[in-house]
Amino acid sequence: MAFVERTVKEGDNLAAFFEGGEERRLTLTDGSRIAVIGGGPAGTFFTYFLLRLAESIDLDVSVDIYEPRSFAYQGPAGCNHCGGIVSESLVQLLATEGINLPPAVVQRGIESYVLHMDVGTVRIETPLQEKRIAAVFRGNGPRESEPLPVSGSFDGFLLELAASSGARVVRKLVSATSWDTGRPRVTCSDGTSATYDLLAVAAGINSQALQLFQEIAPGYQAPKTLKTFICEFRLPREALDKFIGPSMHVFLLDIPRLEFAALIPKGEFLTLCILGDDVDNALIDTFLSAPEVKACFPDGQVPAPACHCFPRVNVEAAAQLYGDRIVWIGDSGVARLYKDGIGSAYRVAKAAAKTVVHHGISAEDFRQHYGPACGRINSDNTIAKFIFGVSTLIQRVRFLRRGVLRMTANEQQRRAARRHMSTVLWDLFTGSAPYKEVLTRTFHPEFPAMLGWNLLAGNLARRRANGSKGNAHG
Amino acid sequence: MKTGTFEQVLAQPAQAEQLPPCGANCATGTDVRGWIAVVAQRHKLGLTDADAISQAWRMVADVNPFPATLGRICPHPCEAGCNREGKDGAVAINALERFLGDWGLRQGLSLERMESDPKPERIGVVGAGPAGLSFAYQMARRGYRVTVYDGEPKPGGMLQHGIPEYRLPEEVLTGEIQRIRELGVELRLGTAIGRDVSVDELRTQHDVLFLGIGAQRAQRLGVEGEDGPGVWSGTEYLSSVNRGAPPALGDDVVVVGGGNTAIDAARTARRTGARVTLLYRRTRQEMPAIAAEVEEALVEGVTLALLAAPLRIERTGEAVTAITVQRMELGEPDASGRRRPVAVAGSAYELPASAVIAAVSQEPDWEGIGSLYTGPTWVKTQPWGRIDEQLWAGGDALGLGIAGIAIAHGRRAAEALHAQLRGQPAPAAPSRAAVTGKAIKPDYYAACARTEAPALPAAQRLVSPETEVHATIGEAEFLEEVTRCFSCGLCFGCEQCFMYCNGKGFVRAEHAAPGAYFTLQLDACEGCRKCIELCPCGFLSAQPLA
Ligand SMILES: Cc1cc2nc3c(=O)[nH]c(=O)nc-3n(C[C@H](O)[C@H](O)[C@H](O)COP(=O)(O)OP(=O)(O)OC[C@H]3O[C@@H](n4cnc5c(N)ncnc54)[C@H](O)[C@@H]3O)c2cc1C
Ligand SMILES: Cc1cc2nc3c(=O)[nH]c(=O)nc-3n(C[C@H](O)[C@H](O)[C@H](O)COP(=O)(O)OP(=O)(O)OC[C@H]3O[C@@H](n4cnc5c(N)ncnc54)[C@H](O)[C@@H]3O)c2cc1C
Ligand code: SF4
Ligand code: SF4
Repeated sequence: MAFVERTVKEGDNLAAFFEGGEERRLTLTDGSRIAVIGGGPAGTFFTYFLLRLAESIDLDVSVDIYEPRSFAYQGPAGCNHCGGIVSESLVQLLATEGINLPPAVVQRGIESYVLHMDVGTVRIETPLQEKRIAAVFRGNGPRESEPLPVSGSFDGFLLELAASSGARVVRKLVSATSWDTGRPRVTCSDGTSATYDLLAVAAGINSQALQLFQEIAPGYQAPKTLKTFICEFRLPREALDKFIGPSMHVFLLDIPRLEFAALIPKGEFLTLCILGDDVDNALIDTFLSAPEVKACFPDGQVPAPACHCFPRVNVEAAAQLYGDRIVWIGDSGVARLYKDGIGSAYRVAKAAAKTVVHHGISAEDFRQHYGPACGRINSDNTIAKFIFGVSTLIQRVRFLRRGVLRMTANEQQRRAARRHMSTVLWDLFTGSAPYKEVLTRTFHPEFPAMLGWNLLAGNLARRRANGSKGNAHG
Repeated sequence: MKTGTFEQVLAQPAQAEQLPPCGANCATGTDVRGWIAVVAQRHKLGLTDADAISQAWRMVADVNPFPATLGRICPHPCEAGCNREGKDGAVAINALERFLGDWGLRQGLSLERMESDPKPERIGVVGAGPAGLSFAYQMARRGYRVTVYDGEPKPGGMLQHGIPEYRLPEEVLTGEIQRIRELGVELRLGTAIGRDVSVDELRTQHDVLFLGIGAQRAQRLGVEGEDGPGVWSGTEYLSSVNRGAPPALGDDVVVVGGGNTAIDAARTARRTGARVTLLYRRTRQEMPAIAAEVEEALVEGVTLALLAAPLRIERTGEAVTAITVQRMELGEPDASGRRRPVAVAGSAYELPASAVIAAVSQEPDWEGIGSLYTGPTWVKTQPWGRIDEQLWAGGDALGLGIAGIAIAHGRRAAEALHAQLRGQPAPAAPSRAAVTGKAIKPDYYAACARTEAPALPAAQRLVSPETEVHATIGEAEFLEEVTRCFSCGLCFGCEQCFMYCNGKGFVRAEHAAPGAYFTLQLDACEGCRKCIELCPCGFLSAQPLA
């Protein structure tokens, strides 16, 4: 990336210019201006930490967050489209940073989850009674819902937080970027533009924004993405309590191209997320007509959704996600595979903020101090792909499904201190722990032994019961 | 097959222009949103500030050759329905138009011809008011030879003789009329039909006639003491002031009436230093005058005597000394829906008066021209002002209105007449249902306070009675005010649909223009409806998924 660090002006001491080693480093100084494109979790966490860290070392910088979206809108227009699961570990982590989710933002506390397979259903309580999760709306709730107060939007809350820590929120859409004598320049759809010392791109992957960098950063390659499906069903509260309860319902069904699906209760709504290989109308229909799914709705009737969207999910990190004076964070860089995107946005945003305040804003600074945080997520995702491969295998093979079901059910019944399978599944689906930990737990000497036993016992029991459909739960 | 539980909620966008309230309400029928768009979106259109402003001027002048004039005097019904009203005030369209009008005069911009081939028909126009001049302009630019007759030595009708200098300086009006003359329109001034030229002669000179005679005859109060010196009609008084021969009024002037003429007469009289009382028989709410003008009159020190009707003008010898006034109250609603004022018995009182100006109403004056049109006093026409093939009419002669309506009448008559003469289909009636409410998303647009034109302090106005009360906004204010337009019902290129569509359903158009920044690629549409719900201006609407 071409840039001019400092032009030699008349009256400059030429010797100082060439020798000024320290001075020539790219850093933020008093008066530096930073532009953040996107006010989702990545952009707001980055801003929040940057301003806090800068203040702690008496560095006086200003941040403009470009975010055209109004999180006061209902439906996809005001929403950053996701399942809205925030794990307890992230809630706790945020609390230690002084970020407390207001009660209005938490639509529902999730205390257990129910695993649905064709071979049966099993409820898993929070392991060790502590890993509770919060269900949130990213925007102002689904279409045609009772409008939440603006503070009821998770992203709205974060943006407010960034604004109250001193950032200026610019309600404009960025439509072009360029270099202005070595500094990043941002142009908005209304034709206005401004030049900054640093540009942080946190525009996610659910917009065409990542096309805007082809010229200024030819090396950057947007993440690989997959089309997913989310929708919201409006159900009477009594029906939600009866059929869903304070649980997230996870489906491992043998439907072609289906990777994973979950139902999450929130207020008067039930959120459905479907991940898979090119989710399309046919896949959604097949899923919604599965008996295991219908059983979760009153009278086995799936109502028409109140709100729906087809967001993309980051499945492979972007290439070259930093350069001099520019850095990509959150979904437009790397994100944890299939879960806890908010948590990973928090981690990389914090790492990026630390880098720019404590080290510098050159590509080299980012490589040394920001790269490792991205790398950790990347390698965890490699493990994730393996684990998901196994879980897909479980989905496809009835024999395995029985084993998993039995092991989990037994653990839950015995309220055993060591709940290997339960914890593994819990972490896998809620995002409470890195994939590496999930995998490590399956290496516990007891795990394969228990699984082996359950595989055997589960399938033997089945043969004895003569094919009647098992339900370990009821 | 689309029978799935969720497929019924899928919908895809349609790009459909909707009529904005400003354009629907504009008296002249100007494409307000369109000319604002050219300036507001000039960066995207690759226009310099100056080119954009001149282009906007041409768009206005296309339908209204008097932007500097109407920018000063129009009661701007366009602003009344503006969707921005509820946010931080309607777009100051009238102030914008005034800036454009002054720009056109300053830059010496000229009116554009539409057809260069000369047409054989000879067109005659009676009356050089806004109706007649607008008609003449639209005919001349289509290649017709047009002659306009007016009994007065100066053109402009009520704009020239009625509206006072402090609201509309003569040079502004003359400048705008001059451009119409430059198109080849011949003005025969000081030539009254029925006095200087007979109706028969007029008929032999022209194939088609347009009547733009306005409503020049003032109605009388019909009270004792009305005849004699010291009593004038409103238009009589104003036109003598405009001619530079103001009558002596004395210290106590009573103006009777509640319309624009009454207010103008009262404000003009106030500028002579007299105490001025405005007598109106109903309440302020019922006053037909432009509300802002009533406000200005009060600021300047005119006293309102409401629910009061004249009974008798008292004289000592010839001189007017007082006016006896009857107190009124509002009774049952009349045919117009306004509550009828009824006298309160035994409540008459006297107001001192050195002069009385009766500005109650005007009607068309048929003296000498009665044979031209044999219908009722107020002209009745078919659509577009057609009386018959050879005779057309428009403006106040059809009913008292405002200048913008007169201009629209003139233009529409010209369009329809041109179509008739050239054997083209008659123009279609304009649609009037404007886009409002849910389709518009006011909170998308950044807050920005409305520009207010600077006004002269009241004391100053009385000291220099001819100085304009309001000034024209500056270029910087103009360029900021245009950004306040929501562009209701027409794409202004906010890019949200393009940016947020996951399916890449929108493609940048090669030649960007208001309403045409993106083309739709419905094959790519996934049916999420996000774009429709994001579009702030209501240009995108939902249609079932193909
Ligand atoms: C189906 C699905 C379910 C998911 N479930 C969960 C879950 O349960 N829990 C979880 O933690 N994560 C979940 N995720 C992941 C999570 O949504 C993302 O990882 C997270 O939103 C990333 O945050 P971000 O700030 O990087 O991007 P986003 O949240 O996408 O924010 C990007 C912001 O940039 C703005 N923007 C875009 N273009 C422009 C532009 N041109 N100019 C200015 N601003 C612009 C947008 O308006 C937006 O506000 C899920 C994802 C999917 C697809
Ligand atoms: C005091 C006053 C204030 C007003 N203020 C406003 C305002 O602020 N805003 C607004 O929009 N409107 C205002 N109006 C209304 C506006 O002026 C009229 O609606 C408009 O001028 C009507 O145009 P017109 O062409 O139909 O008639 P006019 O303007 O009346 O013009 C008619 C012309 O025909 C000529 N004429 C008549 N008979 C003959 C004949 N036999 N031979 C030759 N010529 C003839 C007359 O001399 C006159 O010049 C005001 C009117 C008055 C009286
Ligand atoms: S945003 Fe795209 S996918 Fe969604 S309805 Fe509009 S065109 Fe279709
Ligand atoms: S969303 Fe914006 S760019 Fe798209 S059609 Fe509407 S106004 Fe035009």
